[in-house]
Amino acid sequence: MKKLKQFQACAALMLLCALPLAQAQVAVIVNPKNAAASMTADQVSNIFLGKSNTLPSGAAAAAVDLPESAATRDQFYSKVTGKQAPQVKAAWSRLVFSGKATPPKELASAAEVKKFVAANPDAIGYIEKSAVDGSVKVVLSVD
Amino acid sequence: MRIGTSLFLTPMALAMFTWAGSATAQASGDSAFSFSGFGTLGLVQTSNDKGKYALYGQPRGADKSATGEVDSKLGLQVTARANAMFSGTVQVLTKQDGKGKFTPGLEWAFVKAQVSPNLALRLGRMGGPFFAVSDFRDVGFANTWLRPPQDVHGQVPVSHFDGADLSYQTTLGSATVTAQLYGGKSSNYVTNNKVELDKVIGINATVELDGGLTLRFGHVDSKLTVHSSTLAGIVGALRNPALAGLSPTFAALGNQLDGTDKKATFTGIGASYDQGDWLANFEYTQRRTDSYVSDTNGWYLTVGHRFGKFTPYVTVSELKVADANAVNNIPAPTPQLAGLKAGVNLVLAGQAIGQKTGALGLRWDAYRNIAFKAQFERISPKTQGLFLVPTNGTMVGKTSVYSIAVDTVF
Repeated sequence: MKKLKQFQACAALMLLCALPLAQAQVAVIVNPKNAAASMTADQVSNIFLGKSNTLPSGAAAAAVDLPESAATRDQFYSKVTGKQAPQVKAAWSRLVFSGKATPPKELASAAEVKKFVAANPDAIGYIEKSAVDGSVKVVLSVD
Repeated sequence: MRIGTSLFLTPMALAMFTWAGSATAQASGDSAFSFSGFGTLGLVQTSNDKGKYALYGQPRGADKSATGEVDSKLGLQVTARANAMFSGTVQVLTKQDGKGKFTPGLEWAFVKAQVSPNLALRLGRMGGPFFAVSDFRDVGFANTWLRPPQDVHGQVPVSHFDGADLSYQTTLGSATVTAQLYGGKSSNYVTNNKVELDKVIGINATVELDGGLTLRFGHVDSKLTVHSSTLAGIVGALRNPALAGLSPTFAALGNQLDGTDKKATFTGIGASYDQGDWLANFEYTQRRTDSYVSDTNGWYLTVGHRFGKFTPYVTVSELKVADANAVNNIPAPTPQLAGLKAGVNLVLAGQAIGQKTGALGLRWDAYRNIAFKAQFERISPKTQGLFLVPTNGTMVGKTSVYSIAVDTVF
């Protein structure tokens, strides 16, 4: 009986752990020429919510988004900024319709984001961690 | 379009220049144009036929018959980017204007120079930052509530100005500080009367703190002119030299009521909180003028909580007349003078806009860029409040207001 309880607890724990694991890790990527070794979630969040347009180096960030239909995008915003899609949309509409900022450019796929970041020294984007290769540098990973 | 024709031409010309420059930008793979828009379809109905519910300036509103003319609107915006420094933005907005028409109006037309990552200069027609929620007040999707609380927003007759602004953004510790200085002129129609604000000069400062808290301070100075033939007639009669011998109070009252080039200021503090599932907005504002337009204090407090796609919220607000700015103490020994005195009373009664409001609402984020809203308000006007009334001074009485709307951005 005791063993069964332990097993149940263990199974419940595994289930809890397995839930986030079901989602892939998301990597925030920059150009390899970018001097920053890492960035905090706050720094990345500020850029993607339009609160700041500068990289740690002081250069103006060229941020790129995945399409709204991409699961990685929802995961990135909920994990890094703590906001759900409609909240992100509302936050950007406040900036767009006060003429203060334009949202990150939307690219069609992780491959295109990677290509853009590899080619642009001030770029910042996010892709599934499994898609990362040597052409880009990871500055933040979230589960 | 008497004012600022030349001012518009400047941004227009620069926008064309930006357009011309776009070929190069496109060649380098950058999209030079970004197009966006917002819209609201809304219906509103009240429990009362004694006055009509409308947004400030609109000559037509809702009573026991529902109308879509108060809240429905469509805005289109294009930003053209010449390079990293220069861009031009034009926004055209269609909603019921101060003439009761849905004529598309040029809400914004400005060029922006991002001098450095911290400093931006704009020239042209821009949104006036008079409130905590100014630029996107018409973008229903960007706001939790169905419409901004009128007890605060119903104090200022204009939404944009023609001129220039300078904004500076910096980081102090973990706080983001933005300071904006602006100046120019503005005009609009308020229930068919033209209102002008000249020599507009103002400041708008916000501090975004860690933990979702934003604080705001704003102040604007201007010279107000109201073009109303009724008012001009009354002021002219009071200033009639023939009455000066009878009593000096006639001319004095005439000067108090006069709405020509009179000092008008608007000051506000605000705080907003948005963290996790809770959100709150608070604003306290003061309108002061040296004319018949009353001095008022307006405030609201909104608190909401997100439950997934649903956000119920509650708002309490009040608009209070702090000073009527004129005392109708003229003697009325003859029927003509009694008529004049009654005319003054009507003008002053129209400025008694005090009211209290309690509101309950629900926002439903049905889709990524579509939100449905329903709002119930209970308004207690002192006399007529902000309602449109057939005769100034009408006692409107407690009124329930029912509104539904669907908002989108694209």
